[in-house]
Amino acid sequence: MIDRWMNAQTADERTLAFLQNFFLLIAAVGFVFYGVEHWVIDHYMDSWQSRIPFYVSLVGAPLAVAMFFTTRKWLTIPFTAWMAVSVLTGIVGALMHLWWNAGDLGVSLFTFTGFIESMQVPYRPVLAGLAHTHVGAVGLVVGLTAWVKN
Amino acid sequence: MIPAFRAATTNTARALEIVRMVLIFLVLGGLIGYALELYIIGHWLPTFESQIPFYVTVPGVLFSAWVFFDRRTPWVRVGFIVTMWLMVLTGVLGAYYHWVWNMEDAGGVNWAFMPAMEEFHGFRPVLAALAYTNMGITGLVCVYRAR
Repeated sequence: MIDRWMNAQTADERTLAFLQNFFLLIAAVGFVFYGVEHWVIDHYMDSWQSRIPFYVSLVGAPLAVAMFFTTRKWLTIPFTAWMAVSVLTGIVGALMHLWWNAGDLGVSLFTFTGFIESMQVPYRPVLAGLAHTHVGAVGLVVGLTAWVKN
Repeated sequence: MIPAFRAATTNTARALEIVRMVLIFLVLGGLIGYALELYIIGHWLPTFESQIPFYVTVPGVLFSAWVFFDRRTPWVRVGFIVTMWLMVLTGVLGAYYHWVWNMEDAGGVNWAFMPAMEEFHGFRPVLAALAYTNMGITGLVCVYRAR
């Protein structure tokens, strides 16, 4: 990505490369940050589900950093695929949080009050799971436009 | 964004507008999602400070949706940029408020490293507020050189 920026010939190429580099930085920092944060807040527990976001960050961070230096096929395809995995991880994570909150409270998610109560559980925030969706979506945009020319 | 995409004559220009549209869409979704979430978790309290994220959401949603269709009209462009800067500020201010109020709940403001870090992990999430800063910066970057 850095090369794309350095070698850009037109104003549009420069602007696109700038956006790609900026959002790649957001993705890279996001993966490093969330990886560390999940570790710090003890999200790495005995259940394998609790470890998923950590592993997604662990693989995503080096892939994102490497994309700064090369956009060759062997890297861009796994990077883009992993960003799609991250998008999915966030959505599944949010749904799992919601499901487990409802289980802890003993309420049904298919009632309005049950749904709202499940959203309000402070120790398992539902929408926080979507952070991985955000980081993944940003990276996905970069990956899918990495080879655009002319 | 949409008129610029339709008028684009090169792959680069088209990709540029797609990137901008996807990311502004994320900002728009984030603004609506966070406002709903904040309302559900009871962030709307009798204090003005607790209501700031909701007030920022109104122009945020309006201008983010508007720039999809028109980013050339000067007042729309200025309104969007000012709103995005307000969001950047909202996030930073929110993080500061959360942190200070956590300290006050624990007996008083103390910026010494250990007690400050202790309250960084307090009841009010400090970093969560920076989601608004993230959205604001994203919006600003998306209109960078967008003429």
